[in-house]
Amino acid sequence: MVVSKMNKDAQMRAAINQKLIETGERERLKELLRAKLIECGWKDQLKAHCKEVIKEKGLEHVTVDDLVAEITPKGRALVPDSVKKELLQRIRTFLAQHASL
Amino acid sequence: MKMEEMSLSGLDNSKLEAIAQEIYADLVEDSCLGFCFEVHRAVKCGYFFLDDTDPESMKDFEIVDQPGLDIFGQVFNQWKSKECVCPNCSRSIAASRFAPHLEKCLGMGRNSSRIANRRIANSNNMNKSESDQEDNDDINDNDWSYGSEKKAKKRKSDKLWYLPFQNPNSPRRSKSLKHKNGELSNSDPFKYNNSTGISYETLGPEELRSLLTTQCGVISEHTKKMCTRSLRCPQHTDEQRRAVRIYFLGPSAVLPEVESSLDTDSFDMTDSQALISRLQWDGSSDLSPSDSGSSKTSENQGWGLGTNSSESRKTKKKKSHLSLVGTASSLGSNKKKKPKPPAPPTPSIYDDIN
Repeated sequence: MVVSKMNKDAQMRAAINQKLIETGERERLKELLRAKLIECGWKDQLKAHCKEVIKEKGLEHVTVDDLVAEITPKGRALVPDSVKKELLQRIRTFLAQHASL
Repeated sequence: MKMEEMSLSGLDNSKLEAIAQEIYADLVEDSCLGFCFEVHRAVKCGYFFLDDTDPESMKDFEIVDQPGLDIFGQVFNQWKSKECVCPNCSRSIAASRFAPHLEKCLGMGRNSSRIANRRIANSNNMNKSESDQEDNDDINDNDWSYGSEKKAKKRKSDKLWYLPFQNPNSPRRSKSLKHKNGELSNSDPFKYNNSTGISYETLGPEELRSLLTTQCGVISEHTKKMCTRSLRCPQHTDEQRRAVRIYFLGPSAVLPEVESSLDTDSFDMTDSQALISRLQWDGSSDLSPSDSGSSKTSENQGWGLGTNSSESRKTKKKKSHLSLVGTASSLGSNKKKKPKPPAPPTPSIYDDIN
């Protein structure tokens, strides 16, 4: 019973993701987020952080994994609330539209 | 697929919220990942630190934010005090005024050439007190083309045209005649091809007198020389001959054959005045050669002297202005007891004579 419910949830998520990609909404959201983050200086802040990390590690020894590990938590934290709210609102609207079908 | 969609509608709000948060986190992570790839690529390609500069040089190129300075820290109205030295007159002129000055100083452009030439002219001949600036410029401008030289001449003659009336004994009288003739010759070179004649300017008074008693003597507008034909030369009218004699020998001199008809006793002042005013008006309207010719012709036809040939044009012009001179001089000098009125005779008289 529990397993079937878990399966159902995973199925649902997969279906929603599928819909996001199919309708192109995911790309639109990604583009919106990118623009908003550049606009609010998120990218510059992260870049400054990157420089510190790279200087720490040495220019030659930097790997993508290192960067992702260092940057992603910081990046998540640095997203401004306004951007987050706007994005969530768009996602909810999308979900509401497709849930009502 | 349809079943899944149906199941979507059955989800409660908390589940939807959780899914939304998940999607959001996914998107942010995507962006972070993209950024990480970007940075990594920049690092490996070596351009990541390119936009980095050391703090010292950054300080040098900091944007200045102070009143009176531009963003580079320079006084922004510095150029106002800059001065240029004119290569022509070696004066120092404010940079903002340099271009207009140069235009004037070098004499390029339409108005500036006049200004510049006037300046030169004023320094060269201070004795020349011409009120008409344009005239002065044109006359003293040797670099101008032939056409403009003609123009200058014409203007000058137009101006001097009045002088004999105001001052009959002026030494410029003959000059005015000369200019008038010169203008005519320039304007109509084909009509006046009468090259026979002698220059009256080189003759002494006695020679003139003897010449005038034997020859026609009318001064041609074209050649500025006197006609050497007989006293009854058909090319000129008696009126013209008489005017020439009055001009050279004074009002007492008369043409032999017309003496009887013209020897009126009383000199009518009002007639003469009317003539003068008429001719003055004519002269003042004499702005272009063609105009002058036509006006003269019409005027003379009004007097009943005009013939139908184009030749009459040239002769009439000369005559009227010579007779005018004669009149003016007779007015100015009252030493003659019986001044001859050069007033227009009636057409009948001249029809008879001719």
